[in-house]
Amino acid sequence: MSRIVLAFRSFFSILFRDTLPEEVAKAYGYSKAGAVKAKAVAATPMAPEVKTSDGALQMLGILQRDGRLVDLLMEDISGAQDEQIGAAFRSVQEQCRDSLEKYFRLSPVIDGVEGSYTKIESSDPAVVKLLGNVPASGKAQGGLLRHKGWRAERVDLPKIVPSQKPDVIAPAEIEIE
Amino acid sequence: MPKYVIGIDLGTTNCALAYAEAPADPREPASVTLESIPQLVNPGEVRDESLLASFLYIAGATDFPAGSLSLPWPSDEHMVVGELARKRGVESARRLVSSAKSWLSHSGVDRTSAILPPTAPEGVEKISPLEAARRYLDHLRQAWDSKHPDAPFADQQVLVTVPASFDAVARELTQRAAEEAGYKSVILLEEPQAAFYAWIERHADWRDRVRIGDLILVVDIGGGTTDFTLIAVTEREGELQLERVAVGEHILLGGDNIDLALARHIESQLAAKGTKLDSLQLHALWQQCRAAKEQLLSEDAQKAEHPVTILGKGTGLVGGTIKAKLRREDIDRILLDGFFPTASSSDMPARRRAGLAELGLPYAADAAITRHLARFLRQQASTAEHGTVRRGASGLAAPTHILFNGGVLRAPIVRDRIIDVLNSWLAAEGLPAVQPLFGEDLMHAVARGAAYYGTARQGRGVRIRGGVPRTYYIGIESAMPAVPGMPAPMKALVVAPFGMEEGTGVRIENQEFGLYVGEPAEFRFLLSATRKNDKAGDLIDDPGEDIEELALMEVTLTGNQGEMAPVSLESLVTETGQLQLWCVARDGRRWKLEFNVREQAV
Repeated sequence: MSRIVLAFRSFFSILFRDTLPEEVAKAYGYSKAGAVKAKAVAATPMAPEVKTSDGALQMLGILQRDGRLVDLLMEDISGAQDEQIGAAFRSVQEQCRDSLEKYFRLSPVIDGVEGSYTKIESSDPAVVKLLGNVPASGKAQGGLLRHKGWRAERVDLPKIVPSQKPDVIAPAEIEIE
Repeated sequence: MPKYVIGIDLGTTNCALAYAEAPADPREPASVTLESIPQLVNPGEVRDESLLASFLYIAGATDFPAGSLSLPWPSDEHMVVGELARKRGVESARRLVSSAKSWLSHSGVDRTSAILPPTAPEGVEKISPLEAARRYLDHLRQAWDSKHPDAPFADQQVLVTVPASFDAVARELTQRAAEEAGYKSVILLEEPQAAFYAWIERHADWRDRVRIGDLILVVDIGGGTTDFTLIAVTEREGELQLERVAVGEHILLGGDNIDLALARHIESQLAAKGTKLDSLQLHALWQQCRAAKEQLLSEDAQKAEHPVTILGKGTGLVGGTIKAKLRREDIDRILLDGFFPTASSSDMPARRRAGLAELGLPYAADAAITRHLARFLRQQASTAEHGTVRRGASGLAAPTHILFNGGVLRAPIVRDRIIDVLNSWLAAEGLPAVQPLFGEDLMHAVARGAAYYGTARQGRGVRIRGGVPRTYYIGIESAMPAVPGMPAPMKALVVAPFGMEEGTGVRIENQEFGLYVGEPAEFRFLLSATRKNDKAGDLIDDPGEDIEELALMEVTLTGNQGEMAPVSLESLVTETGQLQLWCVARDGRRWKLEFNVREQAV
């Protein structure tokens, strides 16, 4: 079954019958027994029916809501004056930063001075990326710090309420006169 | 025995909560902690904030996604309290309850009937100012209980602050709101006093900083209200003692007015360039001006201007962006000329002249806070004989110290201007300049001070003596032949003199009323903020403008039908600061007079 078909069947089945179609449940490992057990453990009526991948959409939604980031990125600004772009960006940047600081604690991976000699303390390429004349061994004592990197020390995103529809990043707005 | 003392600042635009551990050793200084308040900040998102926004949004079925208004405790989900209410209220203003506290003190309306929001569309369930206050207080109680499961709110000693200018009816309504919100033992405390307690809490050596005879002026400018109080330093049995000697009128004027004035200024600049703003954009501008003002007026600000940007309305964000600049000199001009102009101590604020006004809150007619201050200090000259008030040659009350409270006064330029103006008045009286007392954390000082006072009540620390901040009267119709079309002249009998202390009572012996039992009897209830030398039992023949009508008081005597009972009046100030009036029969039977807030004072 194609994923789209599965998705639609799941959607309408949940909407009208309050349950997943059996084959979908089986395919994704949501068996009835598991669901009953989960209910018994979690006393809250809001069992999370959302996937963790919805977090990406949630983040987009937050940055749009607080800082209008999606509006800014999706707009064709080829004809706009730099001054106009600057004014808009200043506001978007300020609010997106506030929002980031609220939901994450970001810190540099290496807290050093960029452009200065820095010792290499990790060989994990996901943490420290080596550039330039990297020796054959792939190991070096140290080098110039080009970029401090960013690390999320803490993530504090709100739980997603099922009725919030994560795929809607920003609702349409209609003003009643 | 309560474990904690909790101080609650029930503000016009924000509430705060602080607590201290109930004293085990009376000599140990109290240490006060601020508590953060979980609240909805977005649909489906509950966060801890240091303040609870005093806004309530009456949500309809289509306002928020289903299930996104849950709190960590059971709640009425369509009555949203806090930050989310404030945010959503910008987009849909007619369902937003704001300034409920000002409505609670507005004697021109029935404060127990569902009148808020006044602009709610037909079919929306309204609530009363009392109910709004109850919901804020209830939210604070639940927030506490969610954070301190081992120390239930109902078991703690709780203090709720009210503006010093709240009259007896507004105080009673606040008390009632707290009781209906499940508060067991609640004590009311005046906000400027709380602010002063917060200063004492931070300055253990305060006794070395003031002397007997000093007079401390507390200036409290919050989001929506301005309040003045005078505290005298006196002596009793060789100990320094503090006495609250004067309380100003309730002035509906504050930081929000300033931000709105700045927004209007930018709006008119934009209009001159042909850009028109709608109401949502104006609100966005208002918020931007608030932020820009705080940036430009902060202690270390160097910049001469701050950009103000209103982003495009639809998805065309960059193209639709409106930009303007708020210049430091414009802020200075609007703030200093409009709200804090230089004035002489004999300048009085302008009175409202319009005969007809929109039915709403009685906002101050004159925005000049310095002129309101001049009137306050001048009023102490004319009739005040209560306590030891330091005065200048012209009779003007002459403070030696000044303490600031409220968000507006975080700006040094505002504090400096108030000090300059006050000093010019003092110089004219031949007196030395006033000394500022520096408080910290002006947004939370009231809640902190309330918690400190709670520990002071239990024997630790100093207490400010104050008593009733008004003189209260019962109106008595003169016994005269009726004249058609003319109301009988009214006399005013003093039932509670200014400064009557907590835990004391006064019996008015020389005036008896014949009351028929079994049916409600009504009394007219009046007050004066300035007549402080009236004694209990005094009869004022021709009450002038300085005595205001407040409310009706009602009593129904139980007894034999058709009997007329001769009663005299007795007033009592409870330990918690509540004024009570009682009818006492010759045989000792007693009936309490209740405020009739349903009837409007005329």
